[in-house]
Amino acid sequence: MRRAGSYLESWTVGTSVTGTSQAEFTLIVSRAVILLLIQISGAAMSESRTQLPGPTRQFRPMQLVLGLPMLLAMFLFSGCGTSDVAEKPKELKAVRPTKKIGVSLLTLDNPFFKVIGDHITSAGKENGYEVTVVSGDKDVAKQGNQIKDFIVQGVSAIVLSPCDSKAIVPVIQEANAAGIPVFTVDIPCNEPGVKITTQIATNNLGGGREAGEAMIEALGESGGQVAVLHLKQVESCQLRAQGFKDVIEAHNAAGKAKIEIVAELESGGAKDLGYKATEDILQSNPDLRGIFAINDPAALGARAALEKAGKAQQVKIIGFDGQPEGKQAIKDGKIYADPIQFPDKMGDQIVDAIVRHSKGETLPPQILIPTSLYRQADAAKDTELQ
Amino acid sequence: MSGLLSKHGMILVLLALCAFFSAVTYREQSPTGAAAGRDLASAISKEFQGTPQVLIVARDLPEDAAFAAELEKAIRAAGGQVVATVKGEPRDAREAILKLVAVGTKIDFVAGTQTTSEWLVFENLAADFPTLGDPKVITPRSYFWPNFLKADNLLNIANQIAVIAIVAIGMTMVIITGGIDLSVGSLIALSAVLATRFIRDAGGAENASPMGMTLACLAATAVCGLIGSFSSLMITRFAVPPFIVTLAMMLVCSGLAFTLSSGQSIYQLPESFVWLGRGADLGLPNAVVLMLVLYAIADVLMSRTQLGRYLYAVGGNREAARLAGVPVERILMFAYIACAVLAALGGVIMASQLRSGSPTYGNMYELYVIAAVVVGGASLSGGEGHMFGTLTGAFTIAVIQNGMNLTNIESYTQKVVLGLVILAAVLFEKMRHR
Repeated sequence: MRRAGSYLESWTVGTSVTGTSQAEFTLIVSRAVILLLIQISGAAMSESRTQLPGPTRQFRPMQLVLGLPMLLAMFLFSGCGTSDVAEKPKELKAVRPTKKIGVSLLTLDNPFFKVIGDHITSAGKENGYEVTVVSGDKDVAKQGNQIKDFIVQGVSAIVLSPCDSKAIVPVIQEANAAGIPVFTVDIPCNEPGVKITTQIATNNLGGGREAGEAMIEALGESGGQVAVLHLKQVESCQLRAQGFKDVIEAHNAAGKAKIEIVAELESGGAKDLGYKATEDILQSNPDLRGIFAINDPAALGARAALEKAGKAQQVKIIGFDGQPEGKQAIKDGKIYADPIQFPDKMGDQIVDAIVRHSKGETLPPQILIPTSLYRQADAAKDTELQ
Repeated sequence: MSGLLSKHGMILVLLALCAFFSAVTYREQSPTGAAAGRDLASAISKEFQGTPQVLIVARDLPEDAAFAAELEKAIRAAGGQVVATVKGEPRDAREAILKLVAVGTKIDFVAGTQTTSEWLVFENLAADFPTLGDPKVITPRSYFWPNFLKADNLLNIANQIAVIAIVAIGMTMVIITGGIDLSVGSLIALSAVLATRFIRDAGGAENASPMGMTLACLAATAVCGLIGSFSSLMITRFAVPPFIVTLAMMLVCSGLAFTLSSGQSIYQLPESFVWLGRGADLGLPNAVVLMLVLYAIADVLMSRTQLGRYLYAVGGNREAARLAGVPVERILMFAYIACAVLAALGGVIMASQLRSGSPTYGNMYELYVIAAVVVGGASLSGGEGHMFGTLTGAFTIAVIQNGMNLTNIESYTQKVVLGLVILAAVLFEKMRHR
């Protein structure tokens, strides 16, 4: 970026200098704070030796026991951060101090979101952004606080996957009022009164269609009865089931070997509930030939129930997601195929959208990432699986 | 001095933390507003002899509007020419530039705030739009100030901790009596769900009157008070350990909150419902004012009244207190009911802050609240602790959380640090009793 002559040149040089001196300043201050605390506690200790034990005695160990580990921990963790800052200005010569992206994801316990976060961080770095990824821990109040902290920092963009699309509205409005562009990833927020620059998500309807095609392929000439393991309260899963049914209906309408959806049960998207639901389905439909589960845990639960009932060969499973455990199961032949999602692409696309927005391009309100069908042959080639 | 420190030593730690975070968040700040506009205009006239052609770029915000207006006025006064003023997003800036390109206007300066100058649309102006001439991107002089110490951020901290701090008042009383209340987190959720459901189903949903909303919140608080009295009855009459009773109530209340809300958030509430959580009538956010008032009342209650002395007596030595004529059961009941009522109030504030009620609110809050009380110097074995300490403890937790968010420490590490702090506080309390 070109900047005006002397007035701003001094400013630009200034930043590279302050970048380093600020890091040094930080180190010096934090060391000073720790030393001060040691001195206070030391003085208090020596005082206690000469004096009778009095009320002062109570506060002495605190500086040591409480203050030191706390500050040391903080010193260590934030120390890593500041040393980064110190190196950047040298690398990028005299460019601006880094622009920031604040990211608050639904949770980081799920590898899916971890991958999204990691990719935003790496793609952001390539484009000169410093990225902070925090976990909302499915707690909308916590996520709200994190976003308010991002606003105070004056980040260039906020990325979130809302913990609760409705309750997060006032917080997004605060970001809108501060003029910070807001992007959602994976989970959209379609409430009135909020301005979201663009929403990035998996094409769940298309993924459901792929699952339907995989099911037709798995059952072959004979067709037969199939069941759906659902997670009805989640919109993305409704779309997956919808896409699946569309393809099956079209297949039946074309007069090919009929595939009949005999059951649609709630799986909770979890192994234990998927297991129970599959046991129930098998009781009423002993001739079942296929199961479509809206995610990998439900599919794995179904597989366990089939193995217990001795029907693992008879019933083919189609999952969804492509989590590592699901991919391994496909490799082992336990699941026939998965339409897999691409959290890595989601992360990269988010950064791309932020850059395009900043360049003044008009973005579509929604960017859908297509899924891709992952079969045993793909798993055999997958280097990430042992 | 030493007496004060022994009682309020935690405040030193809090101040040290504030100093630490001020140092590590010492960052360049980008000025905006009228003064920045004048500053920038004088820089342009110093920089450029003749009649500079200036494109002004600002966001669509009140302070940016003031910046743009003042800048435009000052440039005109100095004999410069403002070719266009953009108020909005990068897209608007691009459109404005394309318009200028279409009519063949040349520009010498793109003047904007720090934020707008970072837009990538200006990154390669001369290369992307050669007909513009050779414009220079110029911004007002920046200054340095800790992000942590911005007035907005300090209010932010107070606002973020208000709910935990208010619930911690009740928890301090319970812990001083030697008990514990694990149900506060679930009570927050239950009260938020109840209050919002009452407003939606009985108060007139989006058209609820202030009176209706007040009654709904009072009713929710009363229900939680009843739950608190039930717990206290179990603890006093049937001598069930408080840990077990409140653990059970934690599950019961959480289950009730999920049932009553069908697991969804309840959001059919009037706009004015946010008054308590987000309004700021006295300069400070209302929730923070309420928190301070409650702490003042609680402090007087604990240190100046008979009730307060009885609470300490029950926690210090229950048998001795009984022999001395303290109505132990009534005192215990008071502590648990007060704790439940304050948790309910916390739930109402949270519902107001987020303008919705959801059964997932307050998850893990019991642990943060207990941590605030313990970090504040109360003894889990009872008989010790004070309100000011708890407030300091709550702020310590808030400052650590906020500071870690501001210094880009990731979530996993944040948990480690917070856990270490709580552990250190409990260790300290052990050492005090050695």
